[in-house]
This record gives sequence, C-alpha cells and structure tokens, in this order.
Amino acid sequence: MGKLSKLPKIYLIAVFIILYAPIFYLIFYSFNSGGGMSNFESFTLEHYAAVFEDTRLIVILLNTIIVALLSALVSTAIGVLGALSIVFMRNKAMRKAVLSLNNILIVSPDVIIGASFLILFTMIGVKLGFASVLISHIAFSIPIVVIMVLPKLQEMSPTLIDAALDLGASKRDVLTRVIIPFIKPGILAGFFLALTYSLDDFAVTFFVTGNGFSTLSVEIYSMARAGITLTINALSGLIFFVTVVLVLGYYFISRKTKTPLSGVKK
Amino acid sequence: MKDILRAALVIVIVSAILLFVNAKLNEGEGRASKDSITVYNWGEYIDPDLLKQFENETGIKVTYETFDSNEGMMGKIEQGGTAYDISMPSEYTIEMMQEADLLLPLDYSQIPNIKNIDPYFLDLPFDPDNKYSLPYFWGTVGIAYNPSLLKGQTFESWDDLWDPSLKQQVILVDSARETIGMGLNSLGYSLNSTNMDELREATDKLKALSPNVKAVIGDEVTQLMINGESAVSLTWSGQAADMMFENENIDYIVPAEGSNLWFDNMVIPRTSKNIEGAHAFINFMLDAEVAAQNADYVGYSTPNLAALDLMDPEVTEDERFYPDEEARDHLEVYRNLGLEMLGHYNELFLEFKMDMK
Repeated sequence: MGKLSKLPKIYLIAVFIILYAPIFYLIFYSFNSGGGMSNFESFTLEHYAAVFEDTRLIVILLNTIIVALLSALVSTAIGVLGALSIVFMRNKAMRKAVLSLNNILIVSPDVIIGASFLILFTMIGVKLGFASVLISHIAFSIPIVVIMVLPKLQEMSPTLIDAALDLGASKRDVLTRVIIPFIKPGILAGFFLALTYSLDDFAVTFFVTGNGFSTLSVEIYSMARAGITLTINALSGLIFFVTVVLVLGYYFISRKTKTPLSGVKK
Repeated sequence: MKDILRAALVIVIVSAILLFVNAKLNEGEGRASKDSITVYNWGEYIDPDLLKQFENETGIKVTYETFDSNEGMMGKIEQGGTAYDISMPSEYTIEMMQEADLLLPLDYSQIPNIKNIDPYFLDLPFDPDNKYSLPYFWGTVGIAYNPSLLKGQTFESWDDLWDPSLKQQVILVDSARETIGMGLNSLGYSLNSTNMDELREATDKLKALSPNVKAVIGDEVTQLMINGESAVSLTWSGQAADMMFENENIDYIVPAEGSNLWFDNMVIPRTSKNIEGAHAFINFMLDAEVAAQNADYVGYSTPNLAALDLMDPEVTEDERFYPDEEARDHLEVYRNLGLEMLGHYNELFLEFKMDMK
C-alpha cells in the first residue's frame, strides 16, 4: 500500500468499524449473565460452557463445516473446468448461451432452487440428509465459482499459451503449468465464496434436510418463534475467533514462503 | 498446481476426520438403538433436558429437528422424505394437514395423561374431539406497550390504538390474519369473517390507523420493544412474555372486544414409523411435572391444569398470560378459511400496507 492521505484513511477506518461493530456487539453479549442482548448484567462464561455441553449443537456445527468444505471443494473443481470450457468454446452463440444459463442460476431465488431440488430428490429417490444437502450445495456453488474464474481467464493473453506450445509444452503442461497458476487467485476466491455461500445458506438447505441432519442456519432460523439464545452468540464468537486464527495463520505462512506471483514453477 | 492439489487433499482429510468425530458423537448419543422417534418442532420450543429424561425413562432415542414456519413444516411432511413421528403445528395448519390426510388419529388408551389438560382447551373447532391433536402451548394476540415511553395512554380496547397522540408509535405484525383480524375485532366482527363487506370495512378502518403505524415487521419487534425503540406493538403473548422478561417496564393487554386464541399442538404425522413411541412422547409431555418444567423453560402458557399447581403462582396467576374464564369468552381460534379467502385477506393486507405513508 502506498501512502494514504488523511481522508481515505478516515473513510477506511469508518468502513471497518461499520463492518465489525455488529460482530463485536454480538460477541460482547455472549458474556452476559442476563438472558438477552439488551442489558448487560455481569460477566460469565456459562454460554460458552453451554455450547460444549450441547452435543446436538456440536454435531450440527460439524455438519455445517463438513458440508461447506466438501461442497466448496467439489464445486471449485467443477466450476474451474466449466469456466475453461466456456472460454475455449469456438461457437460464440453457444458460449453466450452457456454463460446466460450460468447467470440465471445465480439470480434465481433460493426458495425456488430448494423446492425444485426437493422435487428432484423425491422423484429419483435420494434419501434426504447429508447426501441431498451436499449435492444441492455443490450445485448452487458452481455458478459462483465460474463467475469468479472467468475474468482471470479472459485477462490471460492467448500469446502466453502460444508461447508455451512453441516452447514444446504439451496440452497438459499448458493447463497445469500455465493456465492454472495464472488463474489461481480466481480459484481461491471462488473456493472461499463457495465456502461462505454454503455456510450461511438457509432456504435451500431447509428444503433438502431430513432424517435428523441439520445445519446451523436451519437451526438458528427456527429459533425465531421463541427467541435466539445467547448460546448462539457464544458459538458465533467461537467461529469468529477460529476464522481470525485461520486468516492470521494463512498470512504468516504466505509471508514465510514468499512466492513470486509470475513465472512458471517447477 | 501441486499446491492446489495438496490443499484439496488437506480439505478431504479434515472432512474425513470431522465426519469420524461426528459419527462418534452420534454414537455417544446412543443413536444406534432400534427404538427411536423423530420430533419436528419450532426452534427453542422445548427444554432439552426433557428430551434426555424421556430417553432415560423409556429407552426411546429422540432425533430432534426444527422448523421456522408452519408452511415449511407441512411441505416437508407432505414430501415424506423423513419419518417424522411428532410435529407441533399451529391450529389452522392442523386443519390443513387433516384435509391433506397427513395426520394419524390418536389412540387415547396410550395417553392416560390427557386427564391433566384443562377441558377448556379440548374439543375445539379446528379438531373436534381431539381426534388428531393435543395442545402443547397456547396464547393470545394483544397489545404490548411501554408506559415509560408514553404519555399515560392506556389500552383497554383496540380503538385506543387509533388515538392521534400515538403518531408513528405503533408497530404492527407482518401477518394478514393478525392485522386484518385486529381490524375486524375492533369493529366487533369475528376474526374468521368471510363477509367481504365486513372485511372491506375493517381494511378501511386500518387505513385510518396508518398515521400511527411506525412499521409492519416480524420477529424483530421483540428486540425493538426491549430496547425501548418503540412504545406500542401488536404482538403474540409469547413474544410479549419475552419482552417483559427483558424489560420490566413493558406491559401486555388483550383488549376487551376480543382477540385471537392460538395453539401449538402435538400431532402424529402420517410419516410416523414408530406410532407407539410417538404416543409415549405425547403422554410424557402431558405429565404434570414435565409440562411445568417445559413451561418454565419456554415461558409460554401451558394448557396443563395439573402443571399449573407445580409452577410459580406469580406466573400462573398473571391474568395477562392466564386470563380467567370470562376474559377467554371473547377469544376466538383461527379457522382455516380456505385458499381463496386467505388470498382475499392477503390482498387487503397488501392494500393497507401500500396505503401507508
């Protein structure tokens, strides 16, 4: 980052405060011995203890994480291949059509996607539960990955591929040593977006869960009738803490192994 | 490329470990036992300790799932992908489920604890003779208000909401039946009215209320009232109880002209694979001590007479949540009016919302 003059700095700080204030507000009340999020009585850790005592909640949390990781992984793989095939399509009309189909999926409401998945699973007889949730999460994450990877591919100069071929690279080498390294930032962005998409999806998941399988968002939404407990605040606090640790860890690892951003790696 | 593959491998391994941990946790819960039931309920609507107690007493394992709306729950049961043994729909949904043939009749020889239920809450129009359902919790619709933010206004009747001094102070609930119903009640009509003239009159009267309406929202109202950001709201007694628990200034009243009496009931859906276990669960929940503990935890009004004796008298003598016979006479239960009529209600409600300045 270059030097920032005063005004942009203030603006940046304000934006971060707006983004983080609700999270800290929520975490602050997770230490409240009172029952709710209005008047802070005294400091307590009981809500954190409650999280670890509640086996059901832990199972649901693990379910959520497993589904998010696996669906992001699979949808990233499929999405990257999809983006590649869209870019290398010869037929322009065809390319436009596939891209439009992809974009329609992004803008269509979750409720409709969820309901149609439910009908589909019922028809082909998939048992509702882990499998049905995973499949549907993979499906709605793919279009996002495609959108994240496409710009990177389009910004790549075709001469790069020609050069690689001229230097005797096989088709496979071009893919693994030229294209993939070049679009890596897009792949990572797609993966993390798919991850967050899966973590906080409620509408689709609600339709396709069953047989005792549940995720956090379904669980939290269904508390609407009797009020959300501070246990959920505590859980959110823990998740936030883990996320921060992961991000910091990633930051330090990437600083240690400073890789040049360009060039072909052996 | 290599590092991407390595990262993918790590993710797969981590997921595998988590899956293993999950399986272990589920085993610890004793999910392996043959005898189990699946309960489908609103979130935070039962004391989790009671589920453990039920498992210990009967040896029947409980799988617990939650839903956030009657319509969503009914859709899942209709689809039949999960063998739900117990569900807790609201009264109008029970009528709809009955019409769709989604419910199994109850066998009272297996539910001796029915003797604990207040007869007043049995044999109601939405389920004559309680063929399919037994009450779980009940409540009313009324006005929650915070006198410390008001200038001494009181709310004996619905018409008090129209008082010009309440400009921009009233929050309504985003639900056609509750809001139009309030309009009907304030005119002395039934809140199950299907008479288009009465409905028109109620809607016009509601439009006159619009200068006082601050917002039409859902569950967020609880927090707004607690934080003192709004002074008056049309709300359900259960939400009012939550508000009062957090903010002692708030009071709740059911206006004298009448209002809605609502129920969440236990039913056995047609998807049930363990009908005996389901009956055992219903009977367990109707036990006096269990019902008392559950009512303490959830904070809603219990229909269980025997449980009332075991509860804190300060709660059970609170007229606002346990109104006496005379006050109850003015209350009406929602009937299922059919899709077409519901469409009319929704249209009129939309018309009212669009009319708001």
